[in-house]
Amino acid sequence: MALRVVKRRNPPAWSAAAILVCALVLSLGVSLALLAAIGKSPVHGLVALWNGSFGSLWAIEDALIKAAPIFLCSLGLAVAFRMQVWNIGAEGQFALGAMGATWAALTFPHAPSWVLLPLMLVYAGLLGAAWGAIPGLLKVKLKANEIITTLMLNYVAIFLLEYMVYGPWKDPASFGFPVTPEFTPSAVIPLLGVGRLHGGVLLCVFAGVLLWAFLRYTRLGYELKACGEGAKVAAYARMPYNRLVLFVLTASGAFAGVAGFVEVSASTGRLMTSIMAGYGYTAIIVAWIARLRPVPIALASFLLAALRVGVENIQLDMEVPAAFGDIMEGLILLTILSGQFFEQYKLVRKGAKNAPAPSASQETAP
Amino acid sequence: MIEEYRGFDIKSLQRPTPAPPKKTPLIRIRGLTKRFGSVEANKDVSLDIHPGRILALLGENGAGKSTLMSMLAGRLVPDEGFIEADGGKVRLESPAQAIALGVGMVYQHFTLVEAMTVAENVLLGQTDSFFVSPPHMKRRVAELATRFGLDIDPGARVADLSMGEKQRVEILKLLHRQSRVLILDEPTTVLTPAETRRLFDALWSMAAQGKAIVFISHKLEEVMAASDDVAILRKGRITAVMEKNDIRSKSDLARSMVGRDVILSVNKPPVELGEEVLGIDDLSGHGLKNVSLSVRRGEILALTGVAGNGQKALVEMVCGLETPPRRKLFILGERWRRFYARAPWKNALSYVPEDRKGLATAPNLDLVDNVLLTTRQGFVKGPWLMRSKAADATDGLILDYNVSPPRATALAKQLSGGNLQKLVLGRELYRGPRLIVAEQPTQGLDVSATEEVWTQLLKSREDAGVLLVTGDVNEALNLADRIAVIYRGEIMGVLDANDPSQVARIGPLMAGLAGTEE
Amino acid sequence: MNFDMVIALLAASVQMGTPILYATLGEILTEKSGVLNLGVEGVMAVSALGAFVVAQATGQPWLGVLAGGACGVFMALLHAVACVVLLGNQVVSGLAVTILGLGLSSFMGQPFIGLSAPGFTPFAFPLLSDIPLVGDVFFRGDALVYLSYLLPFALWFFLQRTRLGLEIRAVGEEPEAALAAGLSAERLRMIATLAGGFLIGMGGAYLSLAYTHLWTNGLSGGRGWIAVALVIFAFWNPQRAIIGAYLFGGVMAFQLRLQATGSHISSSLLLMLPYLLTIVVLAASAARGRGDEAPAGLGVNTAPEE
Repeated sequence: MALRVVKRRNPPAWSAAAILVCALVLSLGVSLALLAAIGKSPVHGLVALWNGSFGSLWAIEDALIKAAPIFLCSLGLAVAFRMQVWNIGAEGQFALGAMGATWAALTFPHAPSWVLLPLMLVYAGLLGAAWGAIPGLLKVKLKANEIITTLMLNYVAIFLLEYMVYGPWKDPASFGFPVTPEFTPSAVIPLLGVGRLHGGVLLCVFAGVLLWAFLRYTRLGYELKACGEGAKVAAYARMPYNRLVLFVLTASGAFAGVAGFVEVSASTGRLMTSIMAGYGYTAIIVAWIARLRPVPIALASFLLAALRVGVENIQLDMEVPAAFGDIMEGLILLTILSGQFFEQYKLVRKGAKNAPAPSASQETAP
Repeated sequence: MIEEYRGFDIKSLQRPTPAPPKKTPLIRIRGLTKRFGSVEANKDVSLDIHPGRILALLGENGAGKSTLMSMLAGRLVPDEGFIEADGGKVRLESPAQAIALGVGMVYQHFTLVEAMTVAENVLLGQTDSFFVSPPHMKRRVAELATRFGLDIDPGARVADLSMGEKQRVEILKLLHRQSRVLILDEPTTVLTPAETRRLFDALWSMAAQGKAIVFISHKLEEVMAASDDVAILRKGRITAVMEKNDIRSKSDLARSMVGRDVILSVNKPPVELGEEVLGIDDLSGHGLKNVSLSVRRGEILALTGVAGNGQKALVEMVCGLETPPRRKLFILGERWRRFYARAPWKNALSYVPEDRKGLATAPNLDLVDNVLLTTRQGFVKGPWLMRSKAADATDGLILDYNVSPPRATALAKQLSGGNLQKLVLGRELYRGPRLIVAEQPTQGLDVSATEEVWTQLLKSREDAGVLLVTGDVNEALNLADRIAVIYRGEIMGVLDANDPSQVARIGPLMAGLAGTEE
Repeated sequence: MNFDMVIALLAASVQMGTPILYATLGEILTEKSGVLNLGVEGVMAVSALGAFVVAQATGQPWLGVLAGGACGVFMALLHAVACVVLLGNQVVSGLAVTILGLGLSSFMGQPFIGLSAPGFTPFAFPLLSDIPLVGDVFFRGDALVYLSYLLPFALWFFLQRTRLGLEIRAVGEEPEAALAAGLSAERLRMIATLAGGFLIGMGGAYLSLAYTHLWTNGLSGGRGWIAVALVIFAFWNPQRAIIGAYLFGGVMAFQLRLQATGSHISSSLLLMLPYLLTIVVLAASAARGRGDEAPAGLGVNTAPEE
């Protein structure tokens, strides 16, 4: 049967949900097939994944806690992506944030928590912002491609973090393990009293609302949206395009930095290399599948965090490499991206009548 | 209407060899209908195309000329009807199929690879061997060019060519493919009068060698000069097909083209001149040479010339997209640098650019957001944006300027060119400008939208000075008080639009001739 | 540092630069058609594993290289289907391919960690290795190094002097023009992306079969991203890619030397060097370029004809 492609005039409302479901099913199917390929039972894998993700209150709490840094990173990225500024550097900005928070925590160990926690937040936000500002300046001043500079800075940040925990900040009592001393209790974000959920989750809600209001009700938020339509429109409307580029990279860096603060303060209580679990990359996937909108970002953060928790369970239960999670994330992104085609186009049998539209080009340049 | 504005008397041009008589047509078009949604772009069109003859397809903007020819060139598939070639029905569902049949089209927007050479462009998709050799390619293209009288350097990079030369490359592409039918879509809009003349020579040379030429135009004089047959398309239907020699008067032609007698003439009451709102003093650079101009409140100064003679650079500098040299440009009496340091959104400068989609508007934003693009400073309170007030203002503009669909929540990309332009114009006039820069404001608009835009521009000069940049001499004559002609970055002269003896010089000046006949 | 050490360092630069050279050339070919494949890192990782597994199973290094190339084609196919056929955003698709590729290589590579495979070993190239200096630096490498000397010129010749190369460049510059010339943008971009994937895959194969003969995780180590940056540095010119690749090979070799000699500088700081250099090189070439070196249609998807 010969098929041809026809542009849809109005994408049906259910299409986004249908694509999401199809993409998830397809990704899960391929991942389970890979399990089978290395000789593990896919059925067992599916059960372990489900139990690990949603099978217990503990698992759901775990997912919510993991969702917090992903959500914060993703919020920032969404602002940058809206302007077609490709910040791939949330991972590094997260690392800098974690280092900033640690710096404050180790410098003022005896400050009361109502002083120390805001201080850690500010340190983390500022360092993350600075790490985002570097590629911003390079892009604005020298036209250096931000995809590569932000990515390279991820590597640099991770090595910097390694350097700090192996060197200057190493805990003398750690028996050679590359970790900083444990934070004092005042440097730890308190629990909310609902299960294991901590104040970082509350911070996420606050950040989400803040960003939503900012984008919707401020002039700057409007300018960011309009600039996302292209540099030409921005210049015509006399918007400070370069300043806005710098702003979004700095702002998304600050968000990722705050995520780093939440992680070291609430989850680990000290700086160590294992906090670099790829949240910054997962956040890119989240931002994209949520189409850069705050509420879907929250849902997608939870979904992918749950997936991570589920994969941890498979990992323990079936001795499967942790990379299983990366495979699933990569597949989900790839299938959703590909699936979006079917929102814009449909396939019809050749010869069938349909109102065609003139061909057009689609801009996706970085 | 004023006929003499072209640099030479176009009516004196004549095909050197007589057209062969009509025998069996090469292409028969039968009953073609094409719909876009509920709009019928072509309705039951039938037409014959004969070898060795030049057929002019005449019609207004939006009459369906391009749609019809796009179907013949395989770009669009007809909804009804069929095309016959060499006596049999053919299916043309892709440009490749049309090319194989010997039908080729030169579009208004050239499809050339700017970074490649002329020879590479001509032979793209055409070379038969696996390896290619640049000297060999150049030789082949040079031979072809000589044969049809299309003078061009095959080794030149396309990016460095003039519009006329690029057009020759497009024609060479078709000739190299042994096209038997060459369709040219509004080929003269980008040409100087002299280049137009050379194009006609080339067309005649091709016709004399047996090619069938279809020449889409809305300019009567050119059609009368260049063609052998004329087909008139109005509102998607063929209203007349005639041999040129049977045409009695041009007004006959005009009537069947427009469907009413009057083309367009607007009432231009004089307005008292005010202070100078734009002063350009000996401006050079960015392709401009010693440009001096002045626009005062109460007048429309038309800057006219063939596209690509420096208009763009001038507009970009005036509108703040490019930085001019110091102390050469004055806006509202202030130095450029000072003016753009603050650039107030209100009672200052408004710019209606040629590129309506992508520069003046953001296609994926709704109309409110699009209105906010240049008026947002009027709707802010501190850091906050008062979007509901902006929405009210947008509703007002939609009503005043008759924008359809009349919904502020519509996206800009859902608007037709004419409606988009009305919205842009409305938005820019909402700013109460004292200087308006309007660039090709009616290009691609239908008659009624053109009329509305013209009326608004004329009205606006009561409060503002207007710099109207247009390649359409007719528009300049209808609207302007004074006409400045630009050629290769130089102002060739500033003429009084109301003085017929001066108006006659526009054509020669556009071609770079200082007032003498070519 | 004495003279012999300098020679050794230069020779090591060539060796370290070779996988980057393969990957850069592959990405140049891909981008010349207008497709931005940011998945190089993931493609290299999967190819390195594929090459290793096949070489280990068959004992044939050249079969391993073929397998590496084939894995490269497969991963590039995923990208091409998402962007060229289904018109997805090229940046996002490339990232997905990277994440997926890195995941796949460490997931499927788990059982092979610590195993070794027959690979390529250096040998003195007859005659040429006797040239003083040049022979020592360039002609005491392995077979894949020698092959990589020919590639930039072959790629240049392909792009400039063959019909397919001309068509690929045209579609990368101006998809609409290529379409008007009766060419299929989809087909040409597919060819270029897959062929580019093969070259990138050879770079991956080099990592596991020549650079090490062992399988470990994270062999690609950011080299794929460096290759993407080098394409910009090289202004999409295959010959210029040689300079860039050896420059990075040099920095990596230098950094390893310093670590090996027990320098006082922390290894973490040394490891940053290539990535910092990438940023510097990128900024410098962006500032120095005219800005029009990139194919005009890079990253622009073409909608299907109707």
